[in-house]
Amino acid sequence: MNLQDRLSDICRRMREEDFALVVAVHDGAHFIETPNPVTVLSGFKSIGPAAALLTSNGSCTLVVTPHWDAARAVEICPQARVVGADDLVAALRVFFSDDFPRDTIGEIGIAGLSFLPSGLASPIAAALAGARAADKLIFDAARTKTVEEIAFAREAARIAELGYTRLLQIAAPGMTEDALALELKGYMKKLGAEDNFLLLCAGPHNRAVQPSTGRKLARGDIILAEITPSYRGQLTQICRTVVIGDPPDELSRKYALVVQAMNEGIAAARPGVAMAEVCRAINAVLEAQGYGVYCHPPHIRRRGHGLGFASIRPGDVSLDNATVLEPDMLFMIHPNQYLPETGYLLCGEPVLITARGAEVLTREQSSLGVAGRWKD
Amino acid sequence: MLTAHPTLLIGPSDWDAERMPRAEFALRIEALWAHAPEAEQAIIFGNSRHHAELAYFTNLVPKLGPALALLSRTGLRRMFVGDAVNMLGAARPLTWIEDVASMKDATAAIAAGGGRALLIGADYMPLALRRSIMEALGREASVADATAQVWSQMRRKSRYEIDAIDAAVKTTGTARKAMREALMSGGGVTDVVLAGERAADAAGAQDVRTLFSQDGGRTLRPFDVPINQQVDPLLAYMAIRRFNYWAECFPLFATQSESTRLYEKAWEGMGLALSAIKAGVATHEIGQLVAAAIEPYLPHPVIGHAFAQRMGLALDEPFCADIGASFEEGEVYSLRVGAMNEAGASMICSRMFLVEADGLVVFDEGLPE
Repeated sequence: MNLQDRLSDICRRMREEDFALVVAVHDGAHFIETPNPVTVLSGFKSIGPAAALLTSNGSCTLVVTPHWDAARAVEICPQARVVGADDLVAALRVFFSDDFPRDTIGEIGIAGLSFLPSGLASPIAAALAGARAADKLIFDAARTKTVEEIAFAREAARIAELGYTRLLQIAAPGMTEDALALELKGYMKKLGAEDNFLLLCAGPHNRAVQPSTGRKLARGDIILAEITPSYRGQLTQICRTVVIGDPPDELSRKYALVVQAMNEGIAAARPGVAMAEVCRAINAVLEAQGYGVYCHPPHIRRRGHGLGFASIRPGDVSLDNATVLEPDMLFMIHPNQYLPETGYLLCGEPVLITARGAEVLTREQSSLGVAGRWKD
Repeated sequence: MLTAHPTLLIGPSDWDAERMPRAEFALRIEALWAHAPEAEQAIIFGNSRHHAELAYFTNLVPKLGPALALLSRTGLRRMFVGDAVNMLGAARPLTWIEDVASMKDATAAIAAGGGRALLIGADYMPLALRRSIMEALGREASVADATAQVWSQMRRKSRYEIDAIDAAVKTTGTARKAMREALMSGGGVTDVVLAGERAADAAGAQDVRTLFSQDGGRTLRPFDVPINQQVDPLLAYMAIRRFNYWAECFPLFATQSESTRLYEKAWEGMGLALSAIKAGVATHEIGQLVAAAIEPYLPHPVIGHAFAQRMGLALDEPFCADIGASFEEGEVYSLRVGAMNEAGASMICSRMFLVEADGLVVFDEGLPE
């Protein structure tokens, strides 16, 4: 499936649901857990608030802000009519008064409204009064990745692994978490990552993975890193744990347990299986070792998640996700488990569902990393 | 300027009491109450993209999830963070407020506060959160949106704020030097831009945003993929944040030192504007002066909407571009002069300055002329 196939599928769904036009909106604040229907319809990652307007016969208008970003939008989305604007709401009002008077076009759907800040959502909702929610329609069609998105995910995975290698090379006592995170971000940007959801923190006993702070790394620290570069708007993630200095035996044993749980999850992920089963397979390994109480909030709320920035389907690897896996679904499997003996441990890989099962996109899977042995 | 916003803010953001003492925040909160004598509590929202007001009162710049501060006239100061409960530890170093709790507890605390409330940054809230806060407050009539008032309060900069901005401007100088060296050594567009970003990071930048032009300065674009192509001359935009405060510049790099008429006219306009600005001068007069100075060239479309922008805790809020009727003492601006000829050749230059009673002080990037 390519973008055009996806758009054709969306148009077919629009006709089935009697939508003449779907308006997808996004505020330009791209967040790993927020899907972006504008990117789903256009492949474009905007700087500011943007909208993609798709008619049921397949014609697409992309409204981007600021106006001077229109040239870039034309390059990335040549199939669309691109409008540059500085005020998205004003541009939409013009669109509906000039190009598509509301009383002539029939049913309108809107996607992305609930993710907007209220100051933007309210005027858009008013301008599109009577529009029906079309989020499910858009994101159902984007539950699997296009060939382009899969290729970008593979490249992002390559960059993530190189970023991890860099972490092992440079992490050392005395360096702040912030400095380490910035160095990795800069390194991966040079490799092509235009954005990076890089959660990185360290401590002798972590309670969670968190954004970096000015805390200085120390010998014996356990570094947690969710390395999540985006390549051309497609995120991929790897979750890694690194010890500064020699790892204690217990930590090595517990990490092996978490890796085993992850591998059970990967083995369970195949077409026709519900996502909840993947979560259950991971939990089973940990529950068998007496960690059942740590398999639920506040210690863990999910064992993985979809990868945007466009669609975040198939959603979380969680017990309440009944989504049935299909080929070309892309998501993270990460046990990321808190254990009382060691603290929080990260291990996780991006997987692509194929007819044969889950293909792991990384070349080298999680193992407990060691850094800074010789750098005191 | 609007720039591509990162999905997670990465960079040093911990509260530094020497850079921004607790007393400075106390003065700001006092001024808030003074402007709203009837208010009992203030609810201040921010997220990783929009947080100038939250940072102004609490120093907290949310790196991941949103945050909400609850201040009461009686002295209660609480911070509610939208990240998971076991992630609150990462928010604590970012603020002087000691009581940091989960966002889930915010509405109960707001409801318990009672009385007339000020809502600040409400337009950035998701609809669902805004609704639940309004429900917690009870009658909508007891709420006033004080966001514009806070921005008015934020205009005049304190000594600490000016020091932070000065540090940010100096870091643009460091970045600019690294970019020039990268260009002179034959670097492609990405090499040059990333050299600036890395130099700024190494100099302690909290955040760096860049745009660059591949078409002679007509348009700017964010980093999409690495570009090995050399562009000479190369116009860029760079915004650098230190200690929560932003500085910006539009560096132009060229391997040849040959000046163009466009370049001369833009700088001529800059010089005239800088010599005319002082406290009390009408902003539209400076706009007209700049437009006349660059004739016969056209204003550059990228900055056509804002020849000047107020600088401080935000880069792209509508309040930054609303420069008001006149320049006032203690305000910090970035003045941009951009010109384009009919063939599309373009030029933008900028300077940041502090308005004083009898003139202005241009922030020094620390670079040789």
